[in-house]
Amino acid sequence: MKRLRSFFQKEACPSADVACERLKIMINQDRMQRNQPEFLPRLQSELIEVIRRYTQSDQGDIQISYHNLPQRTQIELNVSWPATRS
Amino acid sequence: MAKVVVITSGKGGVGKTTSCASIGTALAMQGHRTVLIDFDVGLRNLDLVMGCERRVVYDLINITTGEAKLSQALIRDKRVDNLYMLPASQTRDKDALTFEGIELVINELKQEFDFILCDSPAGIERGAVMAMYFADEAIVVTNPEVSSVRDSDRIIGLLDSKTRRAEQGESVRTCLLVTRYDPERVEHADMMSVQDIEEILAIPLSGVIPESQAVLRASNQGIPVVHDSESDAGQAYMDMAARFLGEDRPMRFIDFERKGLFSRMFGGRR
Ligand SMILES: Nc1ncnc2c1ncn2[C@@H]1O[C@H](COP(=O)(O)OP(=O)(O)O)[C@@H](O)[C@H]1O
Ligand SMILES: [Mg+2]
Repeated sequence: MKRLRSFFQKEACPSADVACERLKIMINQDRMQRNQPEFLPRLQSELIEVIRRYTQSDQGDIQISYHNLPQRTQIELNVSWPATRS
Repeated sequence: MAKVVVITSGKGGVGKTTSCASIGTALAMQGHRTVLIDFDVGLRNLDLVMGCERRVVYDLINITTGEAKLSQALIRDKRVDNLYMLPASQTRDKDALTFEGIELVINELKQEFDFILCDSPAGIERGAVMAMYFADEAIVVTNPEVSSVRDSDRIIGLLDSKTRRAEQGESVRTCLLVTRYDPERVEHADMMSVQDIEEILAIPLSGVIPESQAVLRASNQGIPVVHDSESDAGQAYMDMAARFLGEDRPMRFIDFERKGLFSRMFGGRR
């Protein structure tokens, strides 16, 4: 029943759904920043510096995310760089 | 035991003051000794919504500085027994209010009242933190709108960290009040639903107040909308207060009913 109308109207994407999606992303970021330790920004920039010393990664190729798990705290590091063919 | 309840939101203009006036009035109608404190220094809105602006002599800051006694500053509601309010100051100096001063006032009020409702200013700065600092419970007022929901989440973060309870390792019981809700727009998927908001904020929902013309009518007259028992918003605030006191009531005014001619002619006033 919910959003029956929008189904028939064949809107590209109902604006309320867009709002929800945007909010989930924003709030996740907010919460992450709220809970993260103070040293995190420094750790991040040092990690990026070291990684770029060895790889051809762009800043955007290095993703560092921070997670609060029930028992532990975790950072997740994702690095990619252009393939080098030998 | 007296309970200190903060009504807060982050974003301004979402209905905190409207809600504080109506929920406080409803609690007093149920026989609970209730006092409303306006923390919105410099703006002073609550006395207007309560319709007692002409009886304001002293304010919150006058008490904390010792210029007036609490009994001199408290304004007794003309309509409901057991209901009092403490106006905010008109001063432009927002730092005139101190945590120590507020603590003294709240401790004194705790001797006399069952509920102390704190109407928070907007923002996530010092003023809002001051209004929530001594709270045992919080009502987070949110509109179905991106910026309002986001700010509410930030306020929930502050409630979890910047209150005295949080500092002592306890928590502030927090509930959600969605206001200015328009079921028709939700039906058309132009507005987030209460379920969406509840899911995102992850705190229990304790009320939904519909967008209603009765609210402006009430604030024009300086009579909290909960007195308008014919109106949807008035009834929704009554429900909210009952739930706040632990009663289990179904949510009303959240579904869009396409009005037929009959109900348009005889249905409830909007
Ligand atoms: N349910 C509602 N329906 C229609 N208008 C509302 C509703 N709730 C609040 N308003 C209006 O919104 C404006 C802001 O309300 P107010 O309670 O002063 O918000 P806040 O204290 O959060 O700044 C006021 O003009 C008020 O009349
Ligand atoms: Mg206000």
